[in-house]
Amino acid sequence: MPAPWPETANLKFAAAAKPWENWHKTVSQAFAGTYTPFYPPTNPDTNAQILIDCAKDIQVAIKAAKERKVRLRAVGSTWSLSHAPVTEGVVLDTSRLKGWIKINEGNLDPGYKGSAEKRPGLFLFQCGTLVAEVNKLLESDKWQRSLWTSGAANGQTIVGATSTGTHGSVMDFGPLHDHIVAIHLLAGPDKQFLLERASYPVLKPAFAAAIGATPLRDDDLFNAAVLSFGSMGVIHAVVIETSPRFLLRAETHAPVAIDQDLRNLIATLDPEKHPKLKGKGALNFLQVVINPHSKDAMINAMYKLKWDPSHVFDYTLKEGKIGPGYDGLSVVGEVLKLFPGLIPSFFKLAQGTIDSATKTATRGEMFGYKPPQLKVGSGSVAVALTDAVKTLDLLDALMKQHPAPLVFGCRFVKPSPALFAFTRFPTTMVVSLDGIFNDQSVAFFAKAAETLEQNNIPYTQHWGKVNSYTKARLDKAYGANVGKWLDARKQLLPDPADRAVFTNAYMEERGLAG
Amino acid sequence: MKQLRHAGLCGLLLMTAGCAQYLVVAAEPRYAGQERDRSQVSIAGGTGAAPPQIIASDCGPGEQLAIVRVTRNFGEGLLAWLTLGLYAPATVHYRCATQPQPGGGEINTSGDA
Repeated sequence: MPAPWPETANLKFAAAAKPWENWHKTVSQAFAGTYTPFYPPTNPDTNAQILIDCAKDIQVAIKAAKERKVRLRAVGSTWSLSHAPVTEGVVLDTSRLKGWIKINEGNLDPGYKGSAEKRPGLFLFQCGTLVAEVNKLLESDKWQRSLWTSGAANGQTIVGATSTGTHGSVMDFGPLHDHIVAIHLLAGPDKQFLLERASYPVLKPAFAAAIGATPLRDDDLFNAAVLSFGSMGVIHAVVIETSPRFLLRAETHAPVAIDQDLRNLIATLDPEKHPKLKGKGALNFLQVVINPHSKDAMINAMYKLKWDPSHVFDYTLKEGKIGPGYDGLSVVGEVLKLFPGLIPSFFKLAQGTIDSATKTATRGEMFGYKPPQLKVGSGSVAVALTDAVKTLDLLDALMKQHPAPLVFGCRFVKPSPALFAFTRFPTTMVVSLDGIFNDQSVAFFAKAAETLEQNNIPYTQHWGKVNSYTKARLDKAYGANVGKWLDARKQLLPDPADRAVFTNAYMEERGLAG
Repeated sequence: MKQLRHAGLCGLLLMTAGCAQYLVVAAEPRYAGQERDRSQVSIAGGTGAAPPQIIASDCGPGEQLAIVRVTRNFGEGLLAWLTLGLYAPATVHYRCATQPQPGGGEINTSGDA
């Protein structure tokens, strides 16, 4: 009989009773079991000793996996739609680790180059903290801060979202992981680093020592680890910079014609090019959702406003928005698979649910809780803004040949220094292929990538959504960064047995398991 | 071909006709871990049940529930219909909710290099 998996007072192991599933139930995998490290159950305020103890528990789990030659993967809210967090070994469920530390002026390295505006806004968050919790805490009257950007919803953990490249569509900021300036990385069972960029030191070495980590400053190592989907160890905590608190005013325009005005807006991101946005000022956020079935579009535009002290917070999920049903999309997906001719009618019906009221809210309220939906299908292609219009024309033509219950959500992101940032162009247009998960959608995701290749359009794809990356495609998309990423992994995990623990099939299929 | 499509649609409607689904979710959900599934049978309109109730004892210390979903598939619906509701099976799915976020702290490094 194999030895039981070791536990501690706050680390529990449970053998798998059924296959692991992602949140949207589009990925399923048989696995060995789950390790769950718990924050101390009496819920004391976070301090250095709690961080040390939690890290120790995680390293007990890593050691146990290594000794048994079993793979281990840290997961957050399991929101990824790709197989990036999937393992047949042990899942490390980080969802209970939500501690946080306010970085004070005394913690800052004399070499910290952050502006006076940034200095009071640094926070350390443990890996399991939800983006919802980060927003609510930052935006409170006590701290009066905001994230510059976030994904469309808030249910991901801060490390889960950043490790897979979650992005928003903010005109002057990169993806979510660009908030991160320090990473507490557990690199195997007995090493831990506080990783920073050498070009951007933030914390005194004494801070690293206080949480039991070795300070390590290296641009390539940081830029590799910050987007590594669990491949370089376990990211126990991250330190982020934040913005002074602000509000957003959101306008939705729908339906909007797919005409030359819209093409000009997408090609230039200049709001003056579109009559709906003209004269309204600089955009903070822009999303254009193109419905290839109804041949019209929706524009979501947001404008940054100064803080209003009379603002009343409301983060709650609203009852009226629960619907058409928790997994209604799976039934609809099956119907549309049988009757692809119904796809345009379905989208016409869905269009009626669009809320076009103008809204003023914090980022956390705006990109808040969403009705839980299963069987959501989402893939993506990301291209340079200069290729944006041509890409959309190609996708539209592809949809005519291979109808799928998807729309094209166009988001625009500034570049990131992360080695595997798929937002790597001077301005990237990420086309999120969103809709219902069925065979038609999966086929369309693959054909979208093939179509861009056939037309010689350089592209990348979202790590956390259904993607068609292969080793050859990664080499083409990321060039020398692939080698740098692999080298970084070897430096952070020099023992091949440690690298084996943090390997999964997703990496092997993409030539990243070295 | 048209007849085949109609037959397919009818089959699909038949398969879903006995199905039901009810969802309760916290207003600010803090989902924890994987969804748990438990079969539950309501006997004689709820005057009896097997098991009598579901205790979410597999949640962590101090944890409540974030979401509860009750589903009834075609087979379960058929059984309930055939027994006039005397024997009404369903499946209960739930996710635990993590404890609220703890208070934050600071780390004193002043005086260090």
